[in-house]
Amino acid sequence: MLDLQDVHTYYGKSHVLHGVSLEVSAGEVVGLLGRNGVGKSTTLKTVMGLVRPAAGHVRFEGRDLTGLAPHHVARRGIAWVPEDRRIFRLLTVMENLRTGLDRQGMTEPRKQELLEKVYASFPVLRERRHQAGGTLSGGEQQMLAIARAMTLTPKIILLDEPTEGLMPRMVAQIREIIDVLRRDGVAILLVEQNVPLTLEVCARVYIMEKGQVRYRGSARELQANETIIHQYLGVSA
Amino acid sequence: MIPFDQLLVQAINGIVTGMILALVASGLTLIFGIMDVVNFAHGELFMLGAYVGTTIFVTTGSFWVALLGACLTLAALGAALQITTLRPLLGRDPLTTILATFGISLVLQNYALWQYGPVPRKITEPITGHFQLFHIEYPWYRLLIALLSALIIGGLWLFMKYGTYGIWIRATTQDRLMASAMGIPVPWVHTGVFAIGAAMAAASGVLFGPLVGVNHAMGFDFTLRAFVVVVVGGMGNLGGSILASIFLSLLEAFASLWVSPAQAVIVSFVVLILTLLFRPTGLFVPTPK
Repeated sequence: MLDLQDVHTYYGKSHVLHGVSLEVSAGEVVGLLGRNGVGKSTTLKTVMGLVRPAAGHVRFEGRDLTGLAPHHVARRGIAWVPEDRRIFRLLTVMENLRTGLDRQGMTEPRKQELLEKVYASFPVLRERRHQAGGTLSGGEQQMLAIARAMTLTPKIILLDEPTEGLMPRMVAQIREIIDVLRRDGVAILLVEQNVPLTLEVCARVYIMEKGQVRYRGSARELQANETIIHQYLGVSA
Repeated sequence: MIPFDQLLVQAINGIVTGMILALVASGLTLIFGIMDVVNFAHGELFMLGAYVGTTIFVTTGSFWVALLGACLTLAALGAALQITTLRPLLGRDPLTTILATFGISLVLQNYALWQYGPVPRKITEPITGHFQLFHIEYPWYRLLIALLSALIIGGLWLFMKYGTYGIWIRATTQDRLMASAMGIPVPWVHTGVFAIGAAMAAASGVLFGPLVGVNHAMGFDFTLRAFVVVVVGGMGNLGGSILASIFLSLLEAFASLWVSPAQAVIVSFVVLILTLLFRPTGLFVPTPK
């Protein structure tokens, strides 16, 4: 469904992605692992159209996304949950959700239904719906960022380090929501530092180093391969 | 000691001028907040709005049709200007956009001079009555200006607070990239905001027209004051601009009890300098944490 072919991306003069290729099928949960600064977040931003690749192609459902403005990418069914969450801090929780809900083709009952679904997954957001996004705790902001992405009813969510800096209880909740999304048939491209969590929720995994994909395989294979994990991630699973 | 009745008259004057200034400044601050564009052509949109108003007024004889027509025409013109000149410059050095808007302002000003000539045009106020305010006859129309400005600003506030497009505008103002990733068509939000700003400038031009007569340079004085207001109120802060408009206009009105109105303008600039020295983020914004 999502298909990156030999994507090169620059920030100004610095060459960040050196020919990244990967694919995610419909409904699949795929992990993208790697140390800090290897280009994982940039890969997601390139898919979103937030940075333009200098070479290579991003295809989604067979159509070329390369060079498309981010709002067109979003409307094709790709949602982005950025690493730093990027909550609209001065907007209330409800207004943050409305940025995704209020779009063409959404009827009032459909919006209500979607909102109820989001609140069912994140009850704390219902309680805080009139509170400004900036006043939420880190964990709550992460939930809001995921909830906001869900309001777009995406076919795939690009999830960038959702558990970073969260308490174990919150991590468990994020894990649960990944399962809920999977059951709903939403594909996820998960960028993580948390290797055990990634291996648990993902079917397949890519490992990046220096702007390239260096390893691809099933989570089970990787789990059994301590050498690879140690070599590229410097941790033991 | 200044007699009480003079104080009250000046207070009313200050509020009336303040409301119309707020109408000009809120468009300016909205545009700055979302696009980081200091729109030097804002006064010319105000002036052109007034001219378009006079043309429609002469044809239809109705002040209200003129007001509405001028707003719609200038909204369309504003959108066209944004698409052709500012959209391609988005994200460039602020100096580039400043020069571009300055260029637009020169073109519009000279177009108005060429099209309408140097003689001021008259637009007649819809109500001409006066009422007795202590020793002076105070025109009802001035109060109507204040009321209409307040209504328009109130309408804008409701739109920004509850409307879908208002939420789009606020989201884009806070985080352009995230807004676009949420499917919000950011380039069109920018165009829309510019159109709204232009329409509000036009509304103030038509409302203010009967007081001063419409001429090609009428925009200059107002833009200058609107810039002061926008800085004092906190760049991009809508509520701050409205408060600053009223605050500065009241100060000037009271100052003119002692000095001539032309000298009273100094007060605003003193406030501007003090603001820049001691509270550069604006007088009416909460202290940044």
